[in-house]
Amino acid sequence: MSPRDTTTSTRRHPSLSLRPRARTAVQPVTLPKNFTFDQWQDFALAGAYCDSDHNDSALEDIEPSVQAVPRRRAAKSFSSLCHPVDGLVALGRRLSVTLRNKSSKHNLHVTGEDDKKEGHYQLSGHSAHKRNAASGNWIVQPQEWAKSPSVNRRPSLNSVSALQGFYVPTGAVPAPIPGHGLEPPIVPNDRFSGAAARAAAAAQNEQMEMARLELARMERGKTLDTQVTQDSESGIGIDLRDRSDSDTELDIMRIDPASYLPAEIMTHILSHLDPSSLLNSELVSSRWHYEASSPHVWKPVFRAAYPRRPASSTATKRKQPAGLGKSIPNQDWKRMFLVRRALEHRWKEGKAAAIYLHGHQDSVYCAQFDEDKIITGSRDRTIRVWSAHYPWPCLKVIGPPPGDLPGIGQVNNPAQQATGKSPFLTICPPSTPLENIVTPVDRTLDYHSASILCLRFDEEIMVTGSSDYTCIVWDIKNDYKPICRLAGHTAGVLDVCFDDRYIVSCSKDSTICVWDRKTGELLKSLVGHRGPVNAVQLRGDLIVSASGDGVAKLWNVKSGHCVKEFPSKDRGLACVEFSDDGRTILTGGNDKTIYQFDANTGEMVKALSGHTGLIRSLHLDSMNKRIVSGSYDMSVKVFDTDSGELSIDLPGWTTSWMLNVQSDYRRIVATSQDSRAVIMDFGYGLDGIDLLEE
Amino acid sequence: MANITLTSSDGVDVTVERTVADRSVLIKNMLEDLGETGESIPIPNVNEAVLKKVIEWCDHHKNDPPSAGDDDDNRRKTTDIDEWDQKFMQVDQEMLFEVILAANYLDIKALLDVGCKTVANMIKGKSPEEIRKTFNIQNDFTPEEEDQIRRENEWAEDR
Repeated sequence: MSPRDTTTSTRRHPSLSLRPRARTAVQPVTLPKNFTFDQWQDFALAGAYCDSDHNDSALEDIEPSVQAVPRRRAAKSFSSLCHPVDGLVALGRRLSVTLRNKSSKHNLHVTGEDDKKEGHYQLSGHSAHKRNAASGNWIVQPQEWAKSPSVNRRPSLNSVSALQGFYVPTGAVPAPIPGHGLEPPIVPNDRFSGAAARAAAAAQNEQMEMARLELARMERGKTLDTQVTQDSESGIGIDLRDRSDSDTELDIMRIDPASYLPAEIMTHILSHLDPSSLLNSELVSSRWHYEASSPHVWKPVFRAAYPRRPASSTATKRKQPAGLGKSIPNQDWKRMFLVRRALEHRWKEGKAAAIYLHGHQDSVYCAQFDEDKIITGSRDRTIRVWSAHYPWPCLKVIGPPPGDLPGIGQVNNPAQQATGKSPFLTICPPSTPLENIVTPVDRTLDYHSASILCLRFDEEIMVTGSSDYTCIVWDIKNDYKPICRLAGHTAGVLDVCFDDRYIVSCSKDSTICVWDRKTGELLKSLVGHRGPVNAVQLRGDLIVSASGDGVAKLWNVKSGHCVKEFPSKDRGLACVEFSDDGRTILTGGNDKTIYQFDANTGEMVKALSGHTGLIRSLHLDSMNKRIVSGSYDMSVKVFDTDSGELSIDLPGWTTSWMLNVQSDYRRIVATSQDSRAVIMDFGYGLDGIDLLEE
Repeated sequence: MANITLTSSDGVDVTVERTVADRSVLIKNMLEDLGETGESIPIPNVNEAVLKKVIEWCDHHKNDPPSAGDDDDNRRKTTDIDEWDQKFMQVDQEMLFEVILAANYLDIKALLDVGCKTVANMIKGKSPEEIRKTFNIQNDFTPEEEDQIRRENEWAEDR
């Protein structure tokens, strides 16, 4: 468990304790302190790492790294301060509310007026209370005096509950906390609630309390004379009452919203909760259980906890499975949440099954998948389409007729796996007989005559790039028939990407070509890299490219000009990722470190270390806050986007270099030089996992 | 702008500006259908105290722009409540619930939302027992039933 986890759990724990009062005041201040301390340790390490690295590096690297270090500190310490500040603000608001009430007795005044002026309101309150009393909640030990005329004289119910409250100090009502109410709010310090909301709840509770206290104190003063004589037997009772005048613990009027409000409003209220609060609500009473487990409540709660990808102009058409389920009638949203939570637990534990896709006869250079299919491209010049579901058959082979398939042999490297997470289950589906899946090809022109180096697909087309210097555009909806061939590069096409306007390809010839998606016409050639361009990504009008010359460049696709450069410390970048929002750029390469840049400022934000070989492939899943990397050190690693820390290490899941990785909510698909692709399925065998499919 | 007279359930007349009354879709539609006759509009489900409270809110929010759609995702982006509304909602539970009921009846969506968020914030982060105490709710589960629900909710395939 990381220090972060420990902090979280200690923060959660106290909510079970019986004395939440003191904690509310202390908690927001102390705990973030721990955070800050931990994080400072982190910076110290990161800083040291960065400094030593920087000493070794070439002169021109000095400037960016010197800038990068302080900036990183500033950013991190700011985020760690956020919580304490929120907490203090909330605390401050509450304190000011309390003080105001105490000094001006504003509430006493107002409520007193209400008493006289708004008799109706008080009356209805009285009947509401009677309802509660009838259910047996309030009256623990009925007292003689409680029925006396002096009580009836007063229209407000507050004094009634107040007196009962202190006459039965050891009854079902828990021991009072002096000077305050039963229930200061336990405020979750989590992402579901903002400081203002917390302050609102806190102020709400306290204000009510103060008003009640004042009112009841006043009324008790009135009743004392008559009560004392009548209740002459209980001298002890009088003593208690006197003390509680200073100690004032009184029950404010408390009403069960589930019985007071109609079901649709209760649904509305509960749908504003976070999942764990909602799960707690189910345990309150059978009525609450009924209301809180409704799909009408769970749907918005699930959606809030797992928001849909925001519609973005820069996102491409390719549909990344997000595991958010279908919006169908009778969908079991609560179960979906439980499945999703179990799945996240699997990711946390690094618990995944390995499913090996065996069929290619040489290195599998590239792959992409969606909920239904996995498409791989290989040095054996074929493209294979696999089913993403059990039993993961190969559905199609595109390319020259393959020869006989060798036996599957060794699929992984157990010795390496010992240092990280190994599969909890290994599955090698039988290879599919070729007769039915090989497309009869009439002309050799219809497929690549050399290795498939890269591929990308969306709902309509697939584009592949090859060592034969060309790209082919395929019709995904029409049985993968080739549409056109893009010829223009003078060396192998190393990477390709596209949106609904452009297809962008990059090549060993050090150029980037921009093609018209509709016509296949070459629109532009971007020249500037001094080495092979290994990777390219397109977001909106921006292209980011990574080159073997060690530089990543940002281009404007319309002007064709390079707008920014991101130098690496060592020569040779192999891969690049551009976040969906176009703000973050990740690069990986020969120096075994993943660099995260701010696309707007060009500054390096983070350096993620852990790999011991060239980083060949990167995938950023912003929604699930994961960066997945595949390396020549034969491992796949998962980093947390927030902390930048290594969260899962998956070494030796294949027997050779990792060449391509991609992930979604439940799995990582990695391809290897050993001719196989492996599905690292964190959702394998999870009961109900299919509910999350979209 | 013209003033409107509303009559509460307990027979009290309250005069408000038309723009303020228009925050209630119910009243707005009624006025549009009937025209301004100058007669008072009966609000049979809301007593004077609650009606005044609701009008206080409508008056403060009379110039708010119309809400930006009913999109679930939008609405739930935040449980934050603006500062004035926070103070406004600092009332006892009965008044809070009555305001919610009135907002629902009078069809004042933004007020209904603020009220529901306020109650949600009183539930958030609390244990079941703490929620029971907050609202004085009797736990009517048998220990077995409670256990059963707990088990279902803690369900995770391999824990």
